[in-house]
Amino acid sequence: MAPPAQSQRSPSPSQPSGKSEVTDLKTQLRQLAGSRAPGVDDSKRELFKKVISYMTIGIDVSSLFGEMVMCSATSDIVLKKMCYLYVGNYAKGNPELALLTINFLQRDCKDEDPMIRGLALRSLSSLRVENLVEYLVGPLGSGLKDNNSYVRMVAVMGVLKLYHISAATCVDADFPATLKHLMLHDPDTQVVANCLSALQEIWSSEASTSEEASREKETLISKPVIFYLLNRIKEFSEWAQCLLLELVAKYVPADSNEIFDIMNLLEDRLQHANGAVVLATIKVFLQLTLSMADVHQEVYERIKAPLLTLVSSGSPEQSYAVLSHLHLLVLRAPYIFSSDYKHFYCQYNEPSYVKKLKLEMLTAVANETNTYEIVTELCEYAANVDIPIARESIRAVGKIALQQYDVNAIVDRLLQFLEMEKDYVTAEALVLVKDLLRKYPQWSHDCIAVVGNISSKNVQEPKAKAALIWMLGEYSQDMNDAPYILEGLTENWDDEHSAEVRLHLLTAVMKCFFKRPPETQKALGAALAAGLADFHQDVHDRALFYYRLLQYNVSIAERVVNPPKQPVSVFADTHSSEIKDRIFDEFNSLSVVYQKPSYMFTDKEHRGPFEFSDELGNLSIGAEATNDVVRANRVEANDQDLLLSTSEKEESRGASNNGSAYSAPLYDASSVSAAASQAQSDSLISNLEVAGPQASFAIDDLLGLGLPAAPAPPPLKLNSRAVLDPATFQQKWRQLPISVSQEHSLNPQGVAALTAPQALLRHMQSHSIQCIASGGQSPNFKFFFFAQKAEESSIYLVECKINTSSAKAQITIKVDDQNTSQEFSTLFLSALSKFGFP
Amino acid sequence: MLQCIFLLSDSGEVMLEKQLTGHRVDRSICDWFWNQAISQGDSFKQQSVIASPTHYLFQIVREGITFLACTQVEMPPLMAIEFLCRVADVLSDYLEGLNEDLIKDNFVIVYELLDEMIDNGFPLTTEPNILREMISPPNIVSKMLSVVTGNSSNVSDTLPGATSSCVPWRTSDIKYANNEVYVDLVEEMDAIINRDGVLVKCEIYGEVQVNSHITGVPDLTLSFTNPSILDDVRFHPCVRFRPWESHQILSFVPPDGQFKLMSYRVKKLKSIPIYVKPQLTSDAGTCRINLMVGIKNDPGKMIDSITLQFQLPPPILSADLTSNHGVVNILSNKICSWSIDRIPKDRTPSLSGTLAVETGLERLHVFPIFQVGFRIQGVALSGLQIDKLDLKVVPNRLYKGFRALTRAGLYEVRS
Repeated sequence: MAPPAQSQRSPSPSQPSGKSEVTDLKTQLRQLAGSRAPGVDDSKRELFKKVISYMTIGIDVSSLFGEMVMCSATSDIVLKKMCYLYVGNYAKGNPELALLTINFLQRDCKDEDPMIRGLALRSLSSLRVENLVEYLVGPLGSGLKDNNSYVRMVAVMGVLKLYHISAATCVDADFPATLKHLMLHDPDTQVVANCLSALQEIWSSEASTSEEASREKETLISKPVIFYLLNRIKEFSEWAQCLLLELVAKYVPADSNEIFDIMNLLEDRLQHANGAVVLATIKVFLQLTLSMADVHQEVYERIKAPLLTLVSSGSPEQSYAVLSHLHLLVLRAPYIFSSDYKHFYCQYNEPSYVKKLKLEMLTAVANETNTYEIVTELCEYAANVDIPIARESIRAVGKIALQQYDVNAIVDRLLQFLEMEKDYVTAEALVLVKDLLRKYPQWSHDCIAVVGNISSKNVQEPKAKAALIWMLGEYSQDMNDAPYILEGLTENWDDEHSAEVRLHLLTAVMKCFFKRPPETQKALGAALAAGLADFHQDVHDRALFYYRLLQYNVSIAERVVNPPKQPVSVFADTHSSEIKDRIFDEFNSLSVVYQKPSYMFTDKEHRGPFEFSDELGNLSIGAEATNDVVRANRVEANDQDLLLSTSEKEESRGASNNGSAYSAPLYDASSVSAAASQAQSDSLISNLEVAGPQASFAIDDLLGLGLPAAPAPPPLKLNSRAVLDPATFQQKWRQLPISVSQEHSLNPQGVAALTAPQALLRHMQSHSIQCIASGGQSPNFKFFFFAQKAEESSIYLVECKINTSSAKAQITIKVDDQNTSQEFSTLFLSALSKFGFP
Repeated sequence: MLQCIFLLSDSGEVMLEKQLTGHRVDRSICDWFWNQAISQGDSFKQQSVIASPTHYLFQIVREGITFLACTQVEMPPLMAIEFLCRVADVLSDYLEGLNEDLIKDNFVIVYELLDEMIDNGFPLTTEPNILREMISPPNIVSKMLSVVTGNSSNVSDTLPGATSSCVPWRTSDIKYANNEVYVDLVEEMDAIINRDGVLVKCEIYGEVQVNSHITGVPDLTLSFTNPSILDDVRFHPCVRFRPWESHQILSFVPPDGQFKLMSYRVKKLKSIPIYVKPQLTSDAGTCRINLMVGIKNDPGKMIDSITLQFQLPPPILSADLTSNHGVVNILSNKICSWSIDRIPKDRTPSLSGTLAVETGLERLHVFPIFQVGFRIQGVALSGLQIDKLDLKVVPNRLYKGFRALTRAGLYEVRS
């Protein structure tokens, strides 16, 4: 039974409760059924209206089915429509009663009025009762040949509906072939568009079982079809244009002339009043020119104005969706939008999620010429009533400071924030000043003078407190009362609820101790004692570690805790570029609005493992405020050790690439790295159950342990002479889901050998892994590899991004045969790790 | 593709449900939606794309009515949102307004419309002119007609001719005794002025609205004296692309009745019509406020409907405000609104008073942002001017009319 009455929320008094009214209607309908008195249609109409209105508010009126069908013999089209509506709603639940309607619907399908023919056919195909499909085939067949385009249009959709009820019946009746013929020859564009949408659906779902269907699916995106449709695009309705543009975006043109032809044909679509058409066109332009860097650039320039207009015109609902797309493009190509920064200024009335997008865009487009104005604008928001936005804008100022070379003006602004005497402003500013000092130690003098004036009592937020403590430890030689402040904080150890703050306090006291031993000795003793007694595992372990280190050798301890530091040049990116690329491939889809690729939210079964592997890729994912309930707790967990992981990550990373940034001896480094990774592995362990075989592999990788993966995998043999043309690669890459995605550290020899991309290509070739495309300049390289399983057709695709300065490789693997994806990934990584050794 | 469309009243009641595909969407999704809307408040209502545990939802809100569409597959978000906007437009056009009663009284028409507008989850026809020929609106004329003729059907017996014509937005057999065409320039000015009175950003979004009642299939051309000031333009599908590309001339066959011919954007404007001088001084637990409003650059026409609105910052407990002109109101949610209407010749409108600051707070850190509203009839502030409007074949008794209007969009002054 379709909408059951009890599922309705408590009915309001004005709503009839149902039962008695329905019985009442039943008798009334019975009386009218056979009557041919004049005016009977009007009374019927009133009754039908009542029935439909009950149906609409959720009362079950399916018991009237028989009477409704009896009354349906009429020439009045409104009555017919109401009857069709009713039948469509209840037929699925009453298959045996639905049989009663077949008769009159079939008769209506032969009516002389095309409107009635169309409506009847639509209703007939909307019955969705499996054992009635035999009655559908005939009317559909004649509907497709009808001389009225309205009926043909309805019939085409009917074919698709039939396919969903019973695919076999639809294919046996040879409807797909008829649709194909109609698509290429029908004069009415709406019929053509409906054929296209029906065929796309039918052939995509048939393709998995039938060779022929998958070939047909390919022909849909072949040159003749695409160009035939494109030449008629102006006659299509705006919605049909969207559909067609979606199809064109999948087409891979043979040469650049074709690309330009298509773009010329479509250029005026960018000025269409319908935003959906504009966005679909933009997608086509972006996809077509991906391989032509300079044209791609021009495309950005060309689409800029239409996008900005779309944002300012239209309803707020539309602007948000457009803004999300603009956001994606701005982050991809900030320099193109750098002169349009004023468009991203926040207006007072805008909802905060719009402001958040705008803040990110402002941050991205900041460059030498506009920084001053952007920062001035951002400072305005720091006094915003909306506190989360005020925080975001302060963070944005900080991010701009970290990406600019000339930071004079910005540092002053940040320091002004510290003097604003608002808790949250101070808190955010402290965190930023800390990051700033790690990148520009030369500013320490100015910053420390201001930071020294802040009373630690006014700082309550753990992150901010940790930042303050870090600065106290790091610059204790410049701050007169640093040891005493730290001592005061140590005394209140038990009142400090955040483990993160306690961890920082321990380290800071240690650092301070090496710089000003006599003044700090007392605090150090207290801190170590408190730390050893701490309930938190990490705090306890670190205290113990420091304690033993001091016991072992004080001068070595100093070298571990207080090594000379090099300024951080680039902070780890919070959003992996692999994800950004994926979202870009899915331009003009929900992915862009959610800011995550579709496989993360549409494909529920793959959710667990993917989410995990994704997390590995970015341990330091920020406190991105996602609306998604499922991911919320994960983000929170990450948020907690955000500060820790950014400050410690640098150290552990430095350790793994063998002291390029630190001069500490090797044996210290490994222990530091172990301690630092502790926090990270902690969050990983909770995910172990979900992760399965991948996890053990990943943790070993993370901790730098060389344990073999648990089950010895059967050797996977690759075809040494595999071939694949770029178009197929591109197509496959788009189609296949990600099987493995992870970050892998490279050995120093490998990094050293990678002076040019070609070196790695030859190396991988010797392992039967072929390269199809490569590019980039030091320190960032990008490779696309492929391999083929020996004696089988199964193909492996790999995208590998190497950053030589951080010695990391971001690897994404897509495979035909999911069963062997792990083996292949192991094989690939082992090949990669051998790179650089003679 | 869309699977289901719901229309919800402002109390969350499902007024209408239209299933579009074989995958039925249960009504319980509306309960989920409404619970979220209640618990999360306004910020949720403003989100156009929402992920629920089972479906992806698109929503738009018009006149308190929520149009909710559900899908389970990936699709272009803008297509769904645009479509819902069109549904809302068409309904409000048909029912001459949009509210709960109108929809409940005319739900059969709404069903009929949806039936023609979307099939199997894919949008078909949203052109109001074509729909009008398939399903006639329930207005008084047709009601009268049905009484007179006894034919009470509101569905025309013939299929619209336009569905097969090459100008899908127009039927060929339209006849008028008096031919009229009106062109309106309607502009909205967005501006940000900072506390020093410096213009930070100023931009105009404008529309060319046409209302045409002309016999037959007229072919019109419209040109501007200064099209070069336009930054970016978007056209109704009836506008031919080439003449615009080469000569910036709008050449088109208009739909019958009111429609939006073109929309445009003009950026980097230098002059604003109205200034606001806010002065706030705060110490020792109180805050003095003084506001002056006046004309900055005279547009040459009367500026009216001037209003000023601002949100009192949270630490303000109460406000005592007086003005020498117009009416000052403090609404329950601490929004203060001052309606000035026209600026008198003899004095500058000013508002002054004291704000009581929360105890314990010495000075105010957060200052309000003033949102200004105004309307100027007879001028398009972007400077855009219509040169001429020509018809290829001039019918007898043709009347052409031109108007312009500028109003404030997001026009804000910071303090």
